[in-house]
Amino acid sequence: MADPNTKFLVVDDFSTMRRIVRNLLKELGYSNVEEAEDGVDGLAKLRAGNFDFVVSDWNMPNMDGLTMLQNIRADAALSKLPVLMVTAEAKKENIIAAAQAGANGYVVKPFTAATLDEKLSKIFEKLEKVGA
Amino acid sequence: MNPALEEQLATNVYYDRTFDCEAAKILPGEYYFTRKEMLIVTVLGSCVSACIRDRVSGVGGMNHFMLPDSGNDADSPLSASMRYGAYAMEVLINELLKAGARRENLEAKVFGGGNVLRGFTTINVGERNAQFVRDYLRAENVRITAEDLNDVHPRKVYYFPRTGKVLVKKLKQLNNYTLVKREQDYASRLKTSEVSGDVDLF
Repeated sequence: MADPNTKFLVVDDFSTMRRIVRNLLKELGYSNVEEAEDGVDGLAKLRAGNFDFVVSDWNMPNMDGLTMLQNIRADAALSKLPVLMVTAEAKKENIIAAAQAGANGYVVKPFTAATLDEKLSKIFEKLEKVGA
Repeated sequence: MNPALEEQLATNVYYDRTFDCEAAKILPGEYYFTRKEMLIVTVLGSCVSACIRDRVSGVGGMNHFMLPDSGNDADSPLSASMRYGAYAMEVLINELLKAGARRENLEAKVFGGGNVLRGFTTINVGERNAQFVRDYLRAENVRITAEDLNDVHPRKVYYFPRTGKVLVKKLKQLNNYTLVKREQDYASRLKTSEVSGDVDLF
């Protein structure tokens, strides 16, 4: 597990899903979690606060997760931020688009704490290697 | 993604002579949505269906699911049940939004959750499904404008998304065992599949 104070932003338009992800993160030992309800809200929060990690849905009104990801990568202050896509979209073209836009990982709903944990560990591991 | 769990777009579209329009028949684990003047039909035992539409544009659809049995932690927000239910609802709502529906215009009618699989498990599966769909829609701020839930009879539901009209026929007598068998197959399919999606590309 990475630093338990790692600050997460969970971006999803369904409050039910935000609650599930928040609880799963808590189960994994991460309780520093904030929420945003779409890409616009997400970007605003990311620009205002120093977040360490983004877990985002794809389909959302106003700005979807892919567009938000592209904005994150294009923003000098945020471009290195790890982003895990968590979505109901299981189509290959979606996964490829997310990878091309610079997502650090992709989880298909419905998922378990174990899956989330595995993805997070993988991402933290890679980041450490890059940082070392 | 485990294919046994993936919500499928219904493929059974036919011409309904009684209602003189195109109709889509959906089975457990399926959903359908349309912008067209058509009918969506399903038969529910202990499963539930949410019929959701944009009351302004008339884009609407229906799902048909049950919560998998996740044992003791069934009511925990993290249980396989809750995660699967949330997923089944989200898939339909996402498709509606993609088809142009607006979240603030959504209204729902909910059906099913009959206690028809009596003796099938110790808990009342139907009631749990009904409670879930109600709670979910409340949490997501989608107004429920009509419901016909619980009781002991299976139902046949006809939904006309363009207008929002619903016809429900209570099936007091089942002519064969197909419905119960279908739901039991669906339940065991959910039970033997771990509720978890995974992709390894990175």
